[in-house]
Amino acid sequence: MAAFDNLPEFLKPHLPILDDVKKKGLVPALLYKVNEAVERLTAGLDIEDIRSVLRGDPAPRPNPRVKPHADGFWFHMRPTYYHTLTSGLYPSFRLGWLSVYFFTFETITGLILMLFYTPSPLVAYENMLNILSNVPFGRLMRDLHKIGAEMMVAVVLLHMIRTLITGNYKKPRQFTWATGVILLLVTLFLSFSGYLLPWDQLSLWAVTIGASMAGAAPVIGDFADTMLRGAPGAFNHNGLLRWYLAHVLLLPVIGFIFTGVHYYKVIIQGHSLPPEAEPVGEDTAKRVPTDQRVYFMPDVLTRELLYVSLVTFLMVFACVTFYHAPLEPHADYLITPLHTTAPWYFLFLQGMLKLGDKVLWGVVVPGIITNVLLLLPYMEVGPSRRYGDRRIGLSVIMASIAVMAVLSYMGTPWYGVSSSPDQEVVAELLPQTHPGPVRTVAWAELEAGTYDSTDYESAALTPALKELLHEYEVAMEHARSNSTCLAADPPNCLTTGKGYMIIEDWQEGLKRITFRIIWADGLNNTEPCLTGAKFEFCQTAYLHRDSDYGHGE
Amino acid sequence: MTATASQSPAPANVAAVPGVPGMTRREFLYYIWAASMAILTAQTGGATVWFAYPRFKAGEFGGIFEIDVSQIPAPDSEPKAYDAGRFWLVNMGDGNANDPRLQQYVGGQTYTTQTPGVKALYKICVHLGCIYKWVSTNNRFECPCHGSKYLSSGVRIGGPARRNLDVFVITVLDANGNEIGQTGLTDDGEGRPVNITGAAKIIVNTGSRKNGAFNDVPGLG
Repeated sequence: MAAFDNLPEFLKPHLPILDDVKKKGLVPALLYKVNEAVERLTAGLDIEDIRSVLRGDPAPRPNPRVKPHADGFWFHMRPTYYHTLTSGLYPSFRLGWLSVYFFTFETITGLILMLFYTPSPLVAYENMLNILSNVPFGRLMRDLHKIGAEMMVAVVLLHMIRTLITGNYKKPRQFTWATGVILLLVTLFLSFSGYLLPWDQLSLWAVTIGASMAGAAPVIGDFADTMLRGAPGAFNHNGLLRWYLAHVLLLPVIGFIFTGVHYYKVIIQGHSLPPEAEPVGEDTAKRVPTDQRVYFMPDVLTRELLYVSLVTFLMVFACVTFYHAPLEPHADYLITPLHTTAPWYFLFLQGMLKLGDKVLWGVVVPGIITNVLLLLPYMEVGPSRRYGDRRIGLSVIMASIAVMAVLSYMGTPWYGVSSSPDQEVVAELLPQTHPGPVRTVAWAELEAGTYDSTDYESAALTPALKELLHEYEVAMEHARSNSTCLAADPPNCLTTGKGYMIIEDWQEGLKRITFRIIWADGLNNTEPCLTGAKFEFCQTAYLHRDSDYGHGE
Repeated sequence: MTATASQSPAPANVAAVPGVPGMTRREFLYYIWAASMAILTAQTGGATVWFAYPRFKAGEFGGIFEIDVSQIPAPDSEPKAYDAGRFWLVNMGDGNANDPRLQQYVGGQTYTTQTPGVKALYKICVHLGCIYKWVSTNNRFECPCHGSKYLSSGVRIGGPARRNLDVFVITVLDANGNEIGQTGLTDDGEGRPVNITGAAKIIVNTGSRKNGAFNDVPGLG
């Protein structure tokens, strides 16, 4: 330190590590410092402690492994140990943990997507095309965000059903249950609010129905409708911005707060034991005997990490092999696509809405369902959580799930919204909500000509044409024997119907495909597809060589 | 000072509960303060909603569409779409007014709306806002979202909608530009078709909409 000898005392540098190096030698001094840093970062475990955990040594006394739970921020939220009966898959299936994981996963993938997204009807759809085609890993991120959202809804629903079945929502956990119901609603609305952002047909019409349902509310209906759409009666740039802000800010903040409250109550009251493991009417979750403790570190922690690693792997695997987030055509205020449906978790609502009055089925009944869920712990008040003692409760739960399944079926295009048989046949081949068989066909195999759907076995056809015609004929055959139609309105049934597919080379690299269905008197129509022709239905699609409905595959 | 105040005996007019001290001035002032905070919060909430409510000037929606009579579809022919004005133009003749499905569903009810004439039907389904479409084969309007069905006259014949289609007000002008008719209201309160005999053109005002009459006759179309 000779260089500093002439400096005044208060400017002389003091580096304690140098003293240590002098005393112990370079390597031991550095190792000591590293060890100290590890202990700071883990809030109490040094390298030897960590190795002892990983080796599976019994915990020494005093136990250093509780220090991160007592002194550190992240681990203070987690219990130091679990009961052996709750550390495995049963009874929780770790669905709560998985929900939190998906919340984080969606935040991360969402933030990445936000870099390439502007919430404006002018460019939102273009942003999607850019993400799909130009941004490296853009499509993977969008697919992961979408599949993560779907799985998050599924996991949160399963978490709720599991809690219902094992009866944990009973006293003293009523409040935890209520915050869980709020988190379920937040999850549903988070997922649904993301629907509008791509500004495609699916977006516009799903959310139009959602806003119209709010608009059906008595007294405040019109007000709520305008607040949600940004304009009276129609979505505009303002409406998109509102839904975007709800999706990226308002709902995540509410979700974050209630996740905190929910999990705090879980920790304070302890993870509920399986119903059969404790005396009826007692709650022994917090009293874990010493010999039945499974320490968070390393057992529970590694299981949790393994679990989410596996789930993440499955999601990535799905997205690189078969799953792709759908993107429908650009939003169009003037066309609602045939067969447009709500997301699967709102299909029950769409089914209910087909039943009748929108105030009853769109406002009153969903309100009752939400309130019944919130107040459920005060309805099933029996002290026992054992399956054998809850026959009525469990039967009601199972019956409700069955009703939901039936209502969800009623929400699909197969119930109550079928159009005329001719249009339904063409919708099989040229659907308005997804690319479908014709648009994804091998373009070069579409040879010009007029084909009859019954000739699908002809040897002269290319394989792609054979397959298309076969699908066409299956749909035609289905329509010919449509019993609902035969019972209601015979002249329009396709009993005698014939299906044609006309392929024309329209321009360089562009083919025009016409589906022509004729029946009854229409069989005598000589000139195809004249405007106003009776007993004849035609629909045309143009396919470009590079239109790429298969999204690059 | 305040410590002394909180220890002072309760005022005589506060009902004494055994074991519970009466309200002190300090406690009372806290309640007043809390109440003022609650009012402030409510005011802020109200102001936020007021702030967030979209603003529109009168006349920002709708438009005036002049249509020559030659453009009006023939009586009882298929409805004609006017996408720019978001309406269907229908010309109802006797066939429409006597549609058997109308009899079937309406039953004993009196439908004074079913007189011949021209209507401009708002393109939006009165159920939950989707765009219904004309299905020629079935000779009716069908909504793809929840399956509401309407005749070309706008009368609901099935599905979850609970009223007939809304219409825009039509003004009928003769060759000299004089008004010879306008959409009036029926006894049910919905827009009546206009008679276009002797007319040169009609004017559809999409800023003026008349709701369809209540109609909950059961049936799935």
